[in-house]
Amino acid sequence: MNTDFVLYLAINTLVVIAVSPLFVSLIKKVKAWTQGRQGPSVFQTYFTLIKLLKKEVIYSPNSSRIMRVTPLVTMAAILVAALFVPLVFVPEPVGGMGNIILFMSLLALARFFMALAGLDAGSSFGGMGSSREMSISSIIEPTTIVVFAALAFVFKTLNIFDMFAISVSTGSPSLSTLILIGISLFIIIIVETSRIPVDNPETHLELTMIHEGMILEQSGRNLALMELSAAVKMTALMALLLNLIVPFGITTSLTLAGILIALILLVVKCSILTGIIGIFESSMAKKRFFQLPSLFAMAFFFSTLIIIIEVFS
Amino acid sequence: MTAADDIGIRAVQEFLGKDALPDRIRCGSNNEQYVLIEEPEFGTAVSHLAANKFVLISLFCCEDFSAKAAQTLFYVFERRTSILVLVRDINGRATTIAGIYPSASWFERECRDGFGIEFEGAFDTRRLFLHETYPEGFHPLKKSFRNAPIVTRDAVNPADEYPFREVKGEGVYQIPVGPVHAGIIEPGHFRFSVIGETIFNLECRMFYKHRGIEKLAEGKSPEDCIGISQEVSGDESVANATAFCMAVEQISHMPVPERAWYLRTILLELERVCSHLGDQAGMLVDVAFPLGASQFSVLREECFRENDRLTGSRFLRGMVSLGGMNRDLSRAQLDELDAFVHQLRNRYKIGLKIVLSTASVIDRFATTGVIRPALLRPLNITGPSARASGGKVDVRINHPYGIYDRFAPHLQRLRDGDVLSRFTIKASEIMDSLDLIERLIAAIPEGEIRVGAPICDGYTLTLVESARGQNLCWVWIRAGVIERYKVRTASFGNWLAIEHAVQGNIVPDFPVINKSMNLSYAGTDL
Repeated sequence: MNTDFVLYLAINTLVVIAVSPLFVSLIKKVKAWTQGRQGPSVFQTYFTLIKLLKKEVIYSPNSSRIMRVTPLVTMAAILVAALFVPLVFVPEPVGGMGNIILFMSLLALARFFMALAGLDAGSSFGGMGSSREMSISSIIEPTTIVVFAALAFVFKTLNIFDMFAISVSTGSPSLSTLILIGISLFIIIIVETSRIPVDNPETHLELTMIHEGMILEQSGRNLALMELSAAVKMTALMALLLNLIVPFGITTSLTLAGILIALILLVVKCSILTGIIGIFESSMAKKRFFQLPSLFAMAFFFSTLIIIIEVFS
Repeated sequence: MTAADDIGIRAVQEFLGKDALPDRIRCGSNNEQYVLIEEPEFGTAVSHLAANKFVLISLFCCEDFSAKAAQTLFYVFERRTSILVLVRDINGRATTIAGIYPSASWFERECRDGFGIEFEGAFDTRRLFLHETYPEGFHPLKKSFRNAPIVTRDAVNPADEYPFREVKGEGVYQIPVGPVHAGIIEPGHFRFSVIGETIFNLECRMFYKHRGIEKLAEGKSPEDCIGISQEVSGDESVANATAFCMAVEQISHMPVPERAWYLRTILLELERVCSHLGDQAGMLVDVAFPLGASQFSVLREECFRENDRLTGSRFLRGMVSLGGMNRDLSRAQLDELDAFVHQLRNRYKIGLKIVLSTASVIDRFATTGVIRPALLRPLNITGPSARASGGKVDVRINHPYGIYDRFAPHLQRLRDGDVLSRFTIKASEIMDSLDLIERLIAAIPEGEIRVGAPICDGYTLTLVESARGQNLCWVWIRAGVIERYKVRTASFGNWLAIEHAVQGNIVPDFPVINKSMNLSYAGTDL
């Protein structure tokens, strides 16, 4: 492992933790605007996280060790997964770093522990959240695999670092493929980050919750970790989409100026994407739970189409 | 209408015989027919009424009403425009009619808690509004009980705990929800029996905020009682106050000036608009469509502010009084309201267009939470929920009060009985109410707003159409003070409907079904 890579690890982790809460607030802001409201400050998520970090953690007497380790495991898994997606600087991959299958497995690991923690406290809403999350993921995971397989076909590699390097240096593949990849990855983002029409991140209705239901029993700094890991996951997935489709700005050499420019461009690109997500969310109601597969089917269909195009063209 | 034309009287004649009549029937001031019924005839009378499609709209108890017995039960039946009250003298025990009229079950349990009356043969003898923390033998509505704070039990024996209906079977599990909820809403406990996500059975338990309103009213002067009637349910203030004042006015033969009725009707319709706007916003929040929800919640807030400007109260309180209104609205205020209504209608149409053109919203609303028309009569479901299932029930049309005979609303009806129907019904009722307000403002006569008259003794029954449906009020004045004040809001009947409406739906759809019926916790738990 060279110094560049060690620097990459530090820079990527710092950047992702620093900017993720901003995008969560930005989506809220965009949604508030569509409703004619002012909405909370764009820094509200930072304030909330700081507040939560100062609060004590309360465990249900029914809960086991699972409840205690889940926030750490989730945060760790998501942070490692975020390292697989270079935000501002693409180094040479080292070892299994950047492997897209491993990336997906890390997300699955975090989700698995979150679902366990939802069941752990023994409350009915946690259990419902976990059961729903598992039902959804059993459908969305095969779809994710197909989407990632399509990426692998397009870029002829399983490594996200290489994909980014290719899209930066040689430009992107054809426009049609780009659009299809974009739609597929967009749906993956919506599902993975529990947004409308899959789940409602702002709901107070305990009976409709999925993601919120699972973390209902979390409190204090544990809740802060859960919230932050959800934000980091969203940023990583957004960066995956953006750096494949509009790769300009991301640097392959480690210079201060390059990294600063890349960082600014990343924030700008992600902000635009959060705007799109916010408008997309505002434009429709949540789907009925059992009709969700129709949304995943779209991602599945487009990815299959990419594979067919790539194989036969 | 003469007595012989009344379908209620005809039904009575059929089971009592024509000869027994004159001394046993008394026509109330609101055209309700009180029929004294002897114990042996009671069973046949009820089955006869059931066979003739009469709906049991209320059942309440009163002490010291008859010289012959300790308690008197009033069974209020309704069919189209006629109201029939069977008056039954009892001494602590009575036979149940819940087997014939399912809606009687809650009423009988209410009488049991309040007065300690045992209903023989009842299939459900659990406590209703007094939960198990209240001591045994505590019946607060008895005259012998002095209204004072009581000590409730801290711990309840496991044996005394409320037994919920248990649905057993492979894969069936229970989800207890409430009484404390995640949002800022009133308390209620919902016990779901669920297979996967599909609701198999729901049992609601209410009455976590019993305030003793009926007891509080006893011994008060009618004037003081108006405030109590406004507190029955926050967003039905005008409706309940109007029902109460109407009862006292009818008992006392108090004239109400024409202008006062115009003002009352304007406020009643404004209250309906506010309530329906809130429901529609809530339904859209519950399907996670905040863009649409904000259209209506903004309008509702502006409506509240307009209420505040007009009357000094966002919930229009303190306006209705005995014999008329407390305060007049000036021509300038009415003109301003007219302009507000005009502007509200235009903005409402835009919001409605956004919502009804969003396919995902329609997809969530349609076929969700169906109330079958067959349930309307046995459970006495009223209001928009009934009209969305094809029910021809609207007090303003069936039993017009005040000036509704001249300003009758259109009877809005749909057949499907799902959430979408209830949403649509409410939309057209809002438009209707706005039209009505404009017509009233244009036609309002000048003149007095209040005529004073002495209070007389007596009793009467009044019905009004609140935003939620039919509200019933029975007032008995003795020696110038309230002897008994019984309110039954529409929610008391409609709560039972939700247990049926959710069956076969999935758990995440419960909030939107609940909101579409807009049930009042406070209005149920007096």
